[in-house]
Amino acid sequence: MKLTSHSEIILEVQGIQSYITHYHILENVTFDVPKGSIVALLGRNGAGKTTTLKSIMNLVDVREGQILFEGQQIQGLTPYEVAQRDIGYVPEHRAIFRDLSVLENLRIAERKKGDFDAKREMIFELFPDLKKFINLRGTELSGGQQQMLAIARALVPENRLLLIDEPSEGLAPVIIEQLIEVIAQLAKQSTVILVDQNFLVTSKLADYYVIIEEGKSVERGVMAELINDHAKIQRYLGVA
Amino acid sequence: MKKKINITGILLIAAFIVFLVLAGRGMEPRDLLITTLRGFSVGSVTFLVAAGFSLIFGLLDVLNLAQGTLYMIGAYIGWTVFVRPDTFIDITPLILFLMAGFALGFLWDYLADKITLDARKKKILGWVFVVLSVVLAVLILPRYPIAMWELDNYAQSPISFSYMADQGIRLPVSPAETKGIPAMVALYGSFLISAVLAFGLALIRYKENRQHSLHWKKWRVFGILIILGTLIMAFNTPLTEWLMNMNTNLLFVIAAIIAVLSGIGLGALMETTMIQPLYSRPVYQLMLTLGLGTIGMQLVKAIWGMPEFVIPKPEMFRGSGPGCPATTVKDVFTHHCSTIMILGGRVRVYDEIVLPIVGVIILVLVWLLLKKTRIGMIIRAGVQDSNMVEALGINVRRVFTLVFALGAGLAALGGVLSAPSYGLSVSMGEKFLLNALIALAIGGLTSYPGAALGSLMVGLIQQFMIKYGQIGIPIPFTDIIFKPTPAIIPASTMLLMVIVLLILPNGLLGRQD
Repeated sequence: MKLTSHSEIILEVQGIQSYITHYHILENVTFDVPKGSIVALLGRNGAGKTTTLKSIMNLVDVREGQILFEGQQIQGLTPYEVAQRDIGYVPEHRAIFRDLSVLENLRIAERKKGDFDAKREMIFELFPDLKKFINLRGTELSGGQQQMLAIARALVPENRLLLIDEPSEGLAPVIIEQLIEVIAQLAKQSTVILVDQNFLVTSKLADYYVIIEEGKSVERGVMAELINDHAKIQRYLGVA
Repeated sequence: MKKKINITGILLIAAFIVFLVLAGRGMEPRDLLITTLRGFSVGSVTFLVAAGFSLIFGLLDVLNLAQGTLYMIGAYIGWTVFVRPDTFIDITPLILFLMAGFALGFLWDYLADKITLDARKKKILGWVFVVLSVVLAVLILPRYPIAMWELDNYAQSPISFSYMADQGIRLPVSPAETKGIPAMVALYGSFLISAVLAFGLALIRYKENRQHSLHWKKWRVFGILIILGTLIMAFNTPLTEWLMNMNTNLLFVIAAIIAVLSGIGLGALMETTMIQPLYSRPVYQLMLTLGLGTIGMQLVKAIWGMPEFVIPKPEMFRGSGPGCPATTVKDVFTHHCSTIMILGGRVRVYDEIVLPIVGVIILVLVWLLLKKTRIGMIIRAGVQDSNMVEALGINVRRVFTLVFALGAGLAALGGVLSAPSYGLSVSMGEKFLLNALIALAIGGLTSYPGAALGSLMVGLIQQFMIKYGQIGIPIPFTDIIFKPTPAIIPASTMLLMVIVLLILPNGLLGRQD
């Protein structure tokens, strides 16, 4: 991968093979994530993008290859140990806790006492709606607000890497615009790996891309170059 | 979005209340009151079993069918502390030392890492150590001196001791004899058993790429267990005498605390050693908890025997002299009356007033734990999606162990508290497990308020049926008076469950999804 402005590698994924029960989902995924960048994982439905994020969190069974975070091996750790290395995960379908209030949904993400209070101002500035609905239950929010809450939750501890899965799924175009702004904002503080079916979102945000097809990483490069390569977009993503 | 109100559920509860009111019309007011209070009492005990069951199932998806046995063990351990403090003091150091080996788990992991053998050979070596620990156990444990009751000698049997304790007589059992080796040697030998066993298990479970440290803080639990165990053994006689002559109110509280701690310990042991490896295999869990429940029953039968007995009521609730039965609440406190007159009926203070109050207190305490603490927040979130909780950086497995232990502790508390009124028997666990399961089906399997509501309904309907077994129900337009037989009592709660489930398949307060 050509590195332009980013020189330091924060995450290396090397030839991982992952299984969900006995299904071989990832057959060979390799890519690097430069520190401070946004890397988009692209590919058709079912290609293995979500499984790649789950492999990093060790929420699925990674049997081959290795994953290095800041030079240290993290595969084989339990998911909470991975998270404690300051990796935040925003899963698809938001996974807001429905029995918890908005405030509790944020507080549960504290890794040490006072995490949330230290970030309170920043989070409410980024997501003014959450301040308004702080005592509502998580699921009483609209879809867009829930998505914002899921992202805000990942911002409570000082995460150095954020894994964001399908944030724009099911959201109205206006909300998607806001979402893009928010992700651009938080990428100033943290490295981001972004999965999104909406090429508009990934093309606007990402510095680099990785294309995953049938469980293998097949193409990697700089996003700005991909945007002009209509043939490649058509071939791998089916959008033009 | 507005909160949905479950109209069907409210109608069902209303119908239930109307049924009880109509049923009560045929009774004297004092019978109605006492029957209702007894319903609350049974409901309260059922709730303690059901609440733990519901918490465990909600978070861990484990149906803990051993819950009834934990309830029973709580009662028997409470009885031992209350009636035979000498046996309790004798056996405590042994239990502490058997735990001490496992408290050194970090050390065994560290040593397992240091041994330069391949994984397969480590596993074999591990099994060698497990077998060695069994050999040590056979050699050492029978030589550990315990003064204990004898099942085949009536004068020394649990029933006699229960009866005597009820009369305020506390004869010591025949004292323990040392058998070949000094007691202290047997005690430290028992630590060797657990250390060898724990090291063997560490070798069998060994995984690479783990970080090990021998930080001093990790030694604390081990240190406390060893020091406490040694002290209790050294001061055996004065401790025994202190408990033997203690005010029975305080002794009962101590018995309850020890019973709950034992329940918590057994729950934690079960979860970490047996349930954890089976999280992906629910049917095996079911078989396992059912099997453990049965083993527990047989153990209780072997240790305490088949005949039924009770924990005598503590002084506070057994007065019958002048001023009793009490007519005011003040009398209960000044004369410690066992009964109080309400509406012309004699209400038993401990059974029909204290038990329901304790049930309500536990209900509120656990509710506060769930709603107001961080651990409760993690439990509520984990009920929905424990993977996501873990991905936030929370060691959710430890919370699983904690909840399992807490659930087991609640069952044990139910057991020890119910023992003075419902007595101890080998079948007591089964009865309340069934009660709790029906209560949960009625209330909604993962709903904590549902567990309380269901338990209350089960308690009430059982007690009303028992009462009608005595006075009979006149069937309208006929001269027939129907008297429910004892067999109908469990059937009546089942019938209630069937009706509720036909209308609301998720129970009264269960989730609709």
